[in-house]
Amino acid sequence: MIETTTEFANVVLQEGTLTDPSAAAALGVGLAALGAGYAERGIGSAAVGAMAENEDLFVNGLILTVLPETIVILALVVVFLV
Amino acid sequence: MNTSGTSNPEYVNARVRARRAALFTDDEYRKLVRMSPAEIARRMEETEYEAEINALGTRHSGVDLIEYALNRNLAKHFDDLLDFSEGKVYDLIARYLRKFDAWNAKTIIRGLYVGADRDSIETDLIRAGEFSDRMISRLLDAGTIEDVVTILEGTIFGEGLTEAYTDYEETDLLVPLENAIDRGFYGHLLDDLPNTEPVQLYREFLVAEIDFRNARNALRLARSGADIDPAAYYIDGGKLFSPSELNTLVQDQEELVSHIRESSYGRELTDVLDELEDVDSMISFERGIEKVLLAYSKRLGNVYPMSIAPVISYILAKEREVENIRAIARGREAGLSQSEIESELVIL
Repeated sequence: MIETTTEFANVVLQEGTLTDPSAAAALGVGLAALGAGYAERGIGSAAVGAMAENEDLFVNGLILTVLPETIVILALVVVFLV
Repeated sequence: MNTSGTSNPEYVNARVRARRAALFTDDEYRKLVRMSPAEIARRMEETEYEAEINALGTRHSGVDLIEYALNRNLAKHFDDLLDFSEGKVYDLIARYLRKFDAWNAKTIIRGLYVGADRDSIETDLIRAGEFSDRMISRLLDAGTIEDVVTILEGTIFGEGLTEAYTDYEETDLLVPLENAIDRGFYGHLLDDLPNTEPVQLYREFLVAEIDFRNARNALRLARSGADIDPAAYYIDGGKLFSPSELNTLVQDQEELVSHIRESSYGRELTDVLDELEDVDSMISFERGIEKVLLAYSKRLGNVYPMSIAPVISYILAKEREVENIRAIARGREAGLSQSEIESELVIL
């Protein structure tokens, strides 16, 4: 596992995969999506909890749950810039 | 049940906050104080308590109806809490709610002691703790106190209870059994709590509760002047008294009060203690320390929103609500004046 990691790091750094702008941008979007997913996990479970108590909160809960999604859209802008 | 794996504080907190918002406000208490028991029951039917009042309305009436509806509603909400919490959060909530297991075990033992029948014991239970319905019906079916002790063997109350039973057989007094159950509860309350900041504050809160309980017992003993060994009522885990200190302090109320004043609780309890010295009334002291605990838990809940703190603050607030409404109903039934009833209420 560790040997393959160092090998992979060598490939990435020396062969210069990440110096390719579109690859770097893709990684950026992926990380942003990961962050958004983690944020939505907490908000989503809180929203479902609130909805279970009061069904009128469905719309508010939905909006708040997808708010972190904006960060992925902003990251996606980078893809078009490079 | 489910104490391993990930916990879900966000979900639990969202639900708890919604339920907290549904509690009675100060204004509503003020309205309730002016009502008769029947009117209170009718008012409760329009709120949270609708299902319980309707379900019990045919079998009970008056203050009994209010009291049983309150207990059943409390049990429903606290059972829900255990139901939808998972992992670490479940463990922390269950610790505190086991106090209802202790209450149920004590109620059943007392019931058997005085020879009450199964139904009347059952109506006095609060099914909010960790005991399953099956466990409770096994306990209810037990014919003798010995059987109850045997059934409780596997639970947290088991350890001390068997010893206490031999005591009970010799003296025919319930005190050793009840103390054993209380110690089982308080002994496990502080067992290996995880070491994060909100949990450490939760621990402080639990220690404060134990301390206040000891202080209250000590004050009662000091005032009654009864010749009882204070160690029999001492609960381990607090930091306010050591057992030997307690033994000397119960001799003299003034020394006891100054000991509390010099402790780390001194600042919060100044007003309460001043009042105790001026008015010399136990009631306002007991209400006062409950108010301090409630305020502390509420503050904790606001400081650490995604932890156990808001849940505990909800549990306390709900218990207070139930006790307030019960005090109002009982007070009205006994014909107390409005100001007398209000002195019994704990309102923040």
